[in-house]
Amino acid sequence: MAYTPQYGPGTSIVAQNRRNQMNPEYDLQKLRSVTDEDVVLVLGHRAPGAAYPTAHPPLAEQQEPADPMRKLVKPTEGAKAGDRVRYVQFADSMFNAPSQPYQRTYAEMYRFRAIDPGTLSGRQIVECRERDLDQYAKFLIETEMFDPATVGLRGATVHGHSLRLAEDGMMFDALQRCVLGDDGIVKYVKDQVGVPLDRPVEVGKPMDEAWLKEHTTMFHSLVGTGFREDEEYIEYIQRIHTLRTKYGFMPKEE
Amino acid sequence: MPDSAFPQCRIVPLRLLSPETTELLLNQVAGVPGVRRAVINGPALPATVPYGPARGTENPNTNRRTIQVRGTEFEMRVQTGMVTLEVEDDTVVEKIRTACDEVFTAFPYTLQTGRQFMKSQASLVDYAKYGPNADEFIIGLTDPRRKDSPVIIPTATPDTDGGRLSDQTQTEHTSNYSN
Repeated sequence: MAYTPQYGPGTSIVAQNRRNQMNPEYDLQKLRSVTDEDVVLVLGHRAPGAAYPTAHPPLAEQQEPADPMRKLVKPTEGAKAGDRVRYVQFADSMFNAPSQPYQRTYAEMYRFRAIDPGTLSGRQIVECRERDLDQYAKFLIETEMFDPATVGLRGATVHGHSLRLAEDGMMFDALQRCVLGDDGIVKYVKDQVGVPLDRPVEVGKPMDEAWLKEHTTMFHSLVGTGFREDEEYIEYIQRIHTLRTKYGFMPKEE
Repeated sequence: MPDSAFPQCRIVPLRLLSPETTELLLNQVAGVPGVRRAVINGPALPATVPYGPARGTENPNTNRRTIQVRGTEFEMRVQTGMVTLEVEDDTVVEKIRTACDEVFTAFPYTLQTGRQFMKSQASLVDYAKYGPNADEFIIGLTDPRRKDSPVIIPTATPDTDGGRLSDQTQTEHTSNYSN
């Protein structure tokens, strides 16, 4: 019998959203379009249109030792070309943001190849070859894993995820990398580390509260779905916690 | 810390306030006779990028703009999250509640009352900064990292509703913690 991944427990909409993001078979809804040039601008690693700087010669030009694993695991385009490793970092608000750091790491590990994620309480960074990074960042911005107001591309000074939202619904950002324009569209005016851009980059309109509540992967008893509302999730977490606590004392499930 | 001789209250809105709303709120609140001192708390809006590859570069931010409260201009260095007030007596708190009801129509706020939101006795930082004979209006408003002094706002009196420069002070505290 073929193994079918379950991705996660839970009966709530939050649990289902988590499974959807992790499941590579599931097509995440594309909500906005951002050009490749815009992605490069916001990431700020190189000038748009510039060639990818390399860390080593292309693999085809290298004398690689014979190794069965090299035949088995095909390199990504970035690795093949010898690109340098660069990063993208997202900060997610606690108020019904579509994704959150641990969820991002799970989802990216299932969906992307050759990545090195770093997970923290309010932000998640992912490193990979620059060519691949551009594609991954574009995917993460364009799909339902991103909301212009409650998710921020923040390479540095990420403070804001646990604060109250600003009056206009935007997550607090000391560097104000993105601003909500009078037309209701969020524009990035600085790159992810806070260097002003030559031109603003539009990332679309913030999603409304109902959509956020419907598409979030974060439990929140005040503004969204409370964790206690999902009994299956609680049961699962309690089981893990019990087994971990008893580990070493020959735990037996009753 | 001993209880203050004067009642205090704290305005906590559900959202972080823009400079425009802060200006509106402070003008309303400072227009209430009997407000002695005020402190604005909130996340800092640094003038330069504090860390990361862009460290030291200028940090333009539309929320760090100059606002005018009862004729006194000062620059917002924080995005307002909370305003703590010290007032003459409990009746003033109810007037502040009325003033806040007029400002916060789009989202709710909480008005907490008590006597320990603001220091009323000189702390070590107060002592180090102002010495043993510090002005009682300065006490409890000290941010050790700030070099400039509190802002003086013309007070509102029951008879004339403002006009003279008095002892009502206001300052901003920064909380620049990061996660």
